[in-house]
Amino acid sequence: MNDETKKQINERYERKLEKGERFWPDTIFKDVVMSLGIFVLLLLLATFVGIPAEAKADPSDTSYIPRPEWYFLFLFKFLALYGQLPLIGKIEWLATVLVPTIALGVLTLIPFIEKSPHRHYGKRILPISIMIVMVVGIVLLTLTSEVPTVAEDGSTLLGTLQTISGIVIPTIAYLLLFAFKNNTRFMLWTTGLAAVSMIFLSGTVLALTPEKEAEEVEVATTLTEQITAGQDLYSIHCTECHGDDGSVAIIEGVEGLEGEKITPINSRDVLYTITDASMVELISYGRPNAGMPPYGKTYGGELSKSEIDYITIFMRYSWDDRFEAPVLPELFPPLADGEVPSYDVHIQPIVKRYCISCHRPGKDNNNYLMTTYEEILTTGDHAEFNVIAGNETSYLLQTIQGQPILDENGEEIISIMPPSRLLNENVVDVFMRWIMNGMPQTAADAAALSTP
Amino acid sequence: MWNNIYAWLDERLGFNDLYTNLLDRPEPKTSWWNTLGSASLFLFILQGLTGIFLTVYYTPSPDHAYDSITYIMEGVAFGWLIRGIHHWGATLMVLVVFIHMLRVFFTASFKYPRELTWLIGIGLFLTTLGMGFTGYLLPWNQKAYWATTVGTQIAGTVPFIGEFILKVLRGGPELSALTLQRFFAAHIWIIPAILAALIGIHLYLIIKHGESHFPEKED
Ligand code: HEC
Ligand code: HEC
Ligand code: HEM
Repeated sequence: MNDETKKQINERYERKLEKGERFWPDTIFKDVVMSLGIFVLLLLLATFVGIPAEAKADPSDTSYIPRPEWYFLFLFKFLALYGQLPLIGKIEWLATVLVPTIALGVLTLIPFIEKSPHRHYGKRILPISIMIVMVVGIVLLTLTSEVPTVAEDGSTLLGTLQTISGIVIPTIAYLLLFAFKNNTRFMLWTTGLAAVSMIFLSGTVLALTPEKEAEEVEVATTLTEQITAGQDLYSIHCTECHGDDGSVAIIEGVEGLEGEKITPINSRDVLYTITDASMVELISYGRPNAGMPPYGKTYGGELSKSEIDYITIFMRYSWDDRFEAPVLPELFPPLADGEVPSYDVHIQPIVKRYCISCHRPGKDNNNYLMTTYEEILTTGDHAEFNVIAGNETSYLLQTIQGQPILDENGEEIISIMPPSRLLNENVVDVFMRWIMNGMPQTAADAAALSTP
Repeated sequence: MWNNIYAWLDERLGFNDLYTNLLDRPEPKTSWWNTLGSASLFLFILQGLTGIFLTVYYTPSPDHAYDSITYIMEGVAFGWLIRGIHHWGATLMVLVVFIHMLRVFFTASFKYPRELTWLIGIGLFLTTLGMGFTGYLLPWNQKAYWATTVGTQIAGTVPFIGEFILKVLRGGPELSALTLQRFFAAHIWIIPAILAALIGIHLYLIIKHGESHFPEKED
């Protein structure tokens, strides 16, 4: 750029300044309004959207689908699509290093690459077109980042469409733009068509993508929630050997460990000598030699790190006399006279605490599963007798009241339930009222049946 | 009396010079697009303030990071609000800085005499992304852990030196306590220091050259 052009530019700017405004208060005023607006937006986001709860990091949980921060998603999607290309798709560093470096390099050096002193849009069609295609591409890649390149049924249609929209069209557009960089009208058409077809293709991809149900992660945050979560997990996984209060000293009714002498885990011997960290490690690793299976995912178990933390917290606050437990909410709200309990409010938490440890897939239970409302009513080797509306001889009711089911020869076919210890009377009462009133599922159904 | 104090201070600090040099400057007609730079600055300051508050309770160790965040959300008065602002502020800052860059590009404001302002700006853009990248790991939850795992993996694909970069970022072959410590140091000291210095130069250059006017047919 020669001194003559520089002088022209500076003189023009001086003239603009004369016709312009004052930094204080004119310019600052707009800045302050904008910043205040952003601040209010942040307050609203923090209050009404908040930050979704997430489980603690668990390096062993390789089933977790990793996702980068949202502003890197486009790069990720680009890499995934690029990997689909024939031949060059295998050379990873082309996409992870070369393409981003070139893009960033050009962006950085643009003041020295674009040497013309002209600033008006009409005289900068090429750079502006390149940038528009780039930004449209980035936005679309971000929006479609969740869409898999290979569908569950093995179809690659969505992947192909995405590759066309995310890589093929921009590449062609760039080639055309450079080839015809003197033809303004052609460049505008190319940019417009490229952008529209990319938007259209990505829109199609999004429309074709089967709706995925957002999976809810349950994360206990308050101490009471953590203790309750821990108690439920403990009842499901640990009671068969350690009993529901951790007091078992001689294991009964567990295959292979019958009569095994163990230290009650609610004793000071255990609680005072094992720290939280080693307790977590112990539960993760189990005691393979003594017969306790591993629970941590690292060692092939089924519990996440957070879940094992909750069990440990539950054990501390329930049995360790150095810890004072907060008041825990009741398992289910107490019933008034004539009130009918529902599955959602009463039965589900009870079943989770007292029955699911055995009545879930993979356990010895006569195929009677109790993890959902439907299962409780319809599964089991004796499905037609287990739960009968309005009938006191339902097997479920008999067994929880301490009467085993006998066959015609007087042989026991179903023992009392739960096998080791009878339920409290108020829990039995809930089951009784529920079945005698026709097993309502929701609180509303139950309320309709209640007699005040 | 106030006048006397003011005069005394002005004689030594030069308020009036500051006023004429910084505030009472002429500008070309500016539009709302010109507010994005100062909005970035505002977000940077806000992130700094809320971030300082968060470090009071945050513990950068794999055993305690998650719990300390839970404590900030549940136990500390208005902790949820401060963390919420910091969380969404980070997202917004990346967006605002990016749009600011786009507007500078489209109005060709990077041309003579503002080339250096642009170069410093690229530095600002990259460091802002760096802030986001390092900050994301700190809550040590599943999302954070795995995002950083894949993020650092990409750096590992660089030919020849990829392995080395990966080790420097992670402090070992895997994500560990060292990685967290490292990201924490980068997030609260190293990158903010660079960012603050770059912002200083950026602002100096803007005051020196004034804001560019919007390009017209003759430009
Ligand atoms: C299949 C039976 C079984 C199950 C299920 C089981 N454990 Fe154990 N557990 C054992 C045996 C056997 C030992 C060894 C006892 C001993 O050496 O005194 C043991 C030991 C322990 C100990 C250490 C006691 C000590 O003296 O060091 C703890 C704590 C413990 N279990 C907790 C749990 C928790 C929590 C669960 C549920 C996640 C669980 N266990 C599930 C069988 C079991
Ligand atoms: C410690 C494990 C265990 C627990 C806990 C347990 N069950 Fe069972 N349940 C069994 C086993 C094993 C059977 C198979 C019959 C048998 O061996 O007695 C069974 C069978 C049943 C059956 C008969 C199913 C059929 O179709 O034959 C009913 C009904 C039943 N249980 C109800 C319950 C209820 C209600 C609870 C919770 C209050 C419960 N059980 C808790 C182990 C358990
Ligand atoms: C933390 C990030 C940033 C801050 C705090 C910041 C701050 C500012 C401010 C306050 C202005 C003047 C107001 C305006 O025109 O908007 C400005 C202008 C400018 N910024 Fe930035 N900026 C940042 C990032 C960037 C980036 C990423 C770029 C480009 C790569 C950039 C390039 C420029 C240029 C060239 C100008 C002069 C524009 C003109 O005179 O019209 N800045 N910046």
